[in-house]
Amino acid sequence: MDPTAAGPAATLVARAGRRRRPGAGGGDALSAYLLISPAMFLLIVFVLIPALWIFWLSFQRWDLISGSSDFIGTANYARLLLRDDVFRKAVWQTVYFVAVTVPVSMGLGLLLALLLEKSMPLRDFLRTVFFAPYVMPIVSTAIIFSFIYHPDVGVLNAAFHALGLPKIDWLNSPQWVMPAIMLYSVWQYAGYNAVIFLAGLSNLPPELEEAARVDGAGAWTRFWRITWPLLSPTTYFVLLIDIIGSFKVVQPILVFTGGVGGATSGGGGPDKAAETIGYYLYVEAFSFFHAGYAGAISVVLFLIILAVTGLQMGFLSRRVFYR
Amino acid sequence: MNRRLRRVLDLAPRYLLLVPLAALFAFPLYWMVVISLGTLQSVFVFPPILYPLGHFENFLTAVGLRPDPSTGQYLQIPWARYFLNTVIVATGTTLLVLFTSALAGYAFASMPFPGRTFIFGLVLAIYMVPTEVTLVPNFIILAGLHWIDSYQAQIVPFGASVFGIFLMRQFFLGLPHDLWEAAQLDGAGHLRFLWSIALPLARPPMITIALFHFVTSWNAFLWPLIVTNSDAYRPVQVGLEAFSYADATNPVLHAAGSLMVTLPILIIFLLAQKQIVGGIAASGIRG
Repeated sequence: MDPTAAGPAATLVARAGRRRRPGAGGGDALSAYLLISPAMFLLIVFVLIPALWIFWLSFQRWDLISGSSDFIGTANYARLLLRDDVFRKAVWQTVYFVAVTVPVSMGLGLLLALLLEKSMPLRDFLRTVFFAPYVMPIVSTAIIFSFIYHPDVGVLNAAFHALGLPKIDWLNSPQWVMPAIMLYSVWQYAGYNAVIFLAGLSNLPPELEEAARVDGAGAWTRFWRITWPLLSPTTYFVLLIDIIGSFKVVQPILVFTGGVGGATSGGGGPDKAAETIGYYLYVEAFSFFHAGYAGAISVVLFLIILAVTGLQMGFLSRRVFYR
Repeated sequence: MNRRLRRVLDLAPRYLLLVPLAALFAFPLYWMVVISLGTLQSVFVFPPILYPLGHFENFLTAVGLRPDPSTGQYLQIPWARYFLNTVIVATGTTLLVLFTSALAGYAFASMPFPGRTFIFGLVLAIYMVPTEVTLVPNFIILAGLHWIDSYQAQIVPFGASVFGIFLMRQFFLGLPHDLWEAAQLDGAGHLRFLWSIALPLARPPMITIALFHFVTSWNAFLWPLIVTNSDAYRPVQVGLEAFSYADATNPVLHAAGSLMVTLPILIIFLLAQKQIVGGIAASGIRG
């Protein structure tokens, strides 16, 4: 019988037989395990085990220097959630940081992506300029920003002065230290968001926009009726990674309030006005060596991030337009 | 003529928005150059001098080849050691990531084995764990291994990359099956096929992975700050921070140091931005 006459089923079987790799039995499985073992070993030892161990650690009093530990049950959580004013402040400031930086850097990223979408002279150069902050080392850029924020001779205050606005002691004022760090963070990530949005835009079918244009829809209508809904998977993705990234912010706080030159306000900013959950975790662990307490903070941070991810997947994904 | 005019009218508002925004985004780098080429007098003038002055000797001062005019002393900062440490750590991490990603990516893509779907799911789940959360337990593990203040403390914990495994797997999934069949006819096993045929073809994803991890490792700050405590192993980021922290009064030299630390990575980025940006756009990784 002619095999081609047997129809699609036979073709499938034949193809499946061809796809099955000879010797895909025990020996092959063993070499597969060997090949994945270096990566799996490192991921398990340095990510998976620490991620599980942190829960156990959070029930201990654990001194990071001496290594001494004893089980104290939920005492760390009782103190952290009920009696720790610094932590409460850190939670609110983290929420403040997320609530400002995420929408601003996303909005700016989307704007840049829309402006850079069509081919035009200097497009690659402009994209490079917007993306470069993302790859520049944080210590170097924070050093320069802290000088831009200098209260007396900083260029930001010079601009304020030229506009007739009062000078502000950005990094040493409880009111302004967070906005200063937020501005830095937006500068760092807006171009990154733009790149993701550009990738999303390039995947959209051009016919729909073209058809709407032919029908006489203006740019504003075309964006809100066509681009924005079609782009929603990308928007949702950027929202998720930006929220997660902002919730765990540590390094900018560390360098601006306790690290680089001109940071005279002390760690966490004046009156702890820039203390975030991530920074508090770092200080508790590596300045005070309270590993158990830092473990409890890590667990709370971990749960917040998991909850945000879960919530977004639950609520938002229903409104996202997937093609 | 009419069409060209329309194009100009179409593009003009874009540039009107983009050019000022680009100037704002590029300003910090420009300012780093301006401050690093100024003097202690020129940078403390109000309103600020907005153009560079050309005191290139500041870089000689920053590296200790010329006395600091404000103190008369030579700066004693082991930049060479810091840079060497960073190059060792960044190269080591990159090579280890390439090794682990290529092997695991190949196995996940082309070798059937029991539990493959589950283990790959586990790898993706691991991606959800933020590094900040594992900071404390990882420190305890490294202290237990007596690895505090070493190169391996900065390399080994970052030696496997979910991003790398994922990218390699995607690439190997797209390899035509005929290649493997032909290799098999010639009597090649998986390892031989991987080494002599699949890997040479996998240059593009490997370059993306290498660039991404080299840049990330070069810029690493928080972890090396925690696990190093001597100049022997400190990378350049931590060295720069220590320099800036120790003497907060000399922004000119800090800017010179910042520029020295930024330039290598900026050059790599400019040369390879297609691969870096493309890899990030494809995978959505955020450092």
